[in-house]
Amino acid sequence: MEESLISQGLSLMVFGMGFVFVFLTLLVGVTMLMSKLVVKFEPVAVVPPKKSRRNVAPAVAAKDDELVAVITAAVHKYRS
Amino acid sequence: MDKLLDLWLASGIYNLQGGQLIMLVVGLLLLYLAINKKFEPLLLVPIGFGGILANIPEAGLAFSAVENALHFAEPEIMANLASALGISSTDPHAISEAYHSSNASTHQAVVLAAQDGGYNNGMLYNFYNVAIASGAAPLIIFMGVGAMTDFGPLLANPKTLFLGAAAQFGIFATVLGAVGLTALGVMDFSIQDAAAIGIIGGADGPTAIYVASLLSPHLLGAIAVAAYSYMALVPLIQPPIMRALTTEAERKITMVQLRQVSKIEKILFPVVLLLLVAMLLPDAAPLLGMFCFGNLLRECGVVDRLSDTAQNALINIVTIFLGLSVGSKLSADKFLDLTTLGILVLGIVAFCIGTAMGVLMAKLMNKLEGGNSINPLIGSAGVSAVPMAARVSNKLGLEANPQNFLLMHAMGPNVAGVIGSAVAAGVMIKFVG
Repeated sequence: MEESLISQGLSLMVFGMGFVFVFLTLLVGVTMLMSKLVVKFEPVAVVPPKKSRRNVAPAVAAKDDELVAVITAAVHKYRS
Repeated sequence: MDKLLDLWLASGIYNLQGGQLIMLVVGLLLLYLAINKKFEPLLLVPIGFGGILANIPEAGLAFSAVENALHFAEPEIMANLASALGISSTDPHAISEAYHSSNASTHQAVVLAAQDGGYNNGMLYNFYNVAIASGAAPLIIFMGVGAMTDFGPLLANPKTLFLGAAAQFGIFATVLGAVGLTALGVMDFSIQDAAAIGIIGGADGPTAIYVASLLSPHLLGAIAVAAYSYMALVPLIQPPIMRALTTEAERKITMVQLRQVSKIEKILFPVVLLLLVAMLLPDAAPLLGMFCFGNLLRECGVVDRLSDTAQNALINIVTIFLGLSVGSKLSADKFLDLTTLGILVLGIVAFCIGTAMGVLMAKLMNKLEGGNSINPLIGSAGVSAVPMAARVSNKLGLEANPQNFLLMHAMGPNVAGVIGSAVAAGVMIKFVG
């Protein structure tokens, strides 16, 4: 009886762990495949960010200049 | 004077048993840990309070109508119960034994006889039946967890799923440990008990409660308390193991920033996961089905109201009833024995092994990929405990290298751990349920 309980536990461990790995390996494969397909068949989603980037870029640059100026001023004040 | 005596005989002080007193103290201790030490307060406050309610003498809040009738043992009601069972003895113990070995229709007759006598199911007993025995509460919570989970980091780096798988080794090693203790004669666990105890190593409260309610309801109280206590102790338990298994250089590894994941991928992932479960392991379908459903609500973007309810109002309501129901299993006769101690010890062993295997797996993956791309610290997040385990990985990474932000990298294995332990739970239910 006790021997069989241990062997039950062992088989549960081997099969259980094996199954968890097989399942998650398959999930890794399927997920990668899905991501590839999505990236391949989704040219629409790539276009809008390009457009918006063009519009946004000058604003960001301007802000950066302002930021640099502010930081420089702050550093000068701190040093003096 | 007689009235005064009646009052005294019905008082809690007169009827208080030693075991109940101890359990009242245990309930207060849980409340203290939750309120003062912030140990998973959302669950330990209801559990602790439920434990106190369940141990109020004479109130019988955690007992069924029949158990309450047997407790008070009024002669005419005992006679009714005995006749419903078809036995001659009116001794409560004999009735209890006959009741537990009777078939379903006799069972029903005894329950009706007890209710005729004016006894009803205790409040907590009803909560337990509705919330846990039906399996509803853990599954609804799992839906809420799904609605709160962002699979982005996992989708950006699907290989982290292996870390979530490796950390489940703790579950199965503990099953073996519980079975071994039984074989040595130290404890007395069946294979079902062992499986339910092992799930503590998954560090996932709802999964542990769900599996325990199916495989070994009599251990549910201890298993739930152990699971939630250890989840609260993640920041104390994991770091020493993680430091011992990694070198300083490994902890300093910075990981490249994750790629952007598109919305369509996020919408498709729960559907893909669900189909995989449906094809391979239908026994994990209740848990992962609700999980995927909650996640789809979140990601599809057209049912924000439902998603909001699932991750806020609904999960809060269900948590209240789940906590009180778990508390109802903290009655003295079920909680106060050596088994509980065994469960607490095995639970922490499960946790430690899971953490260690996650880290070792991450080291292996790092070696295979050239030795400088995966920080082994994220492996420990493979035990679920979202998001605490990921935060621990992040903290240790920052200690080694102040520029090293591992949080998003650790969220991948973290949610992989949730999937992994749900799959492990499905396997357990399949094999020993």
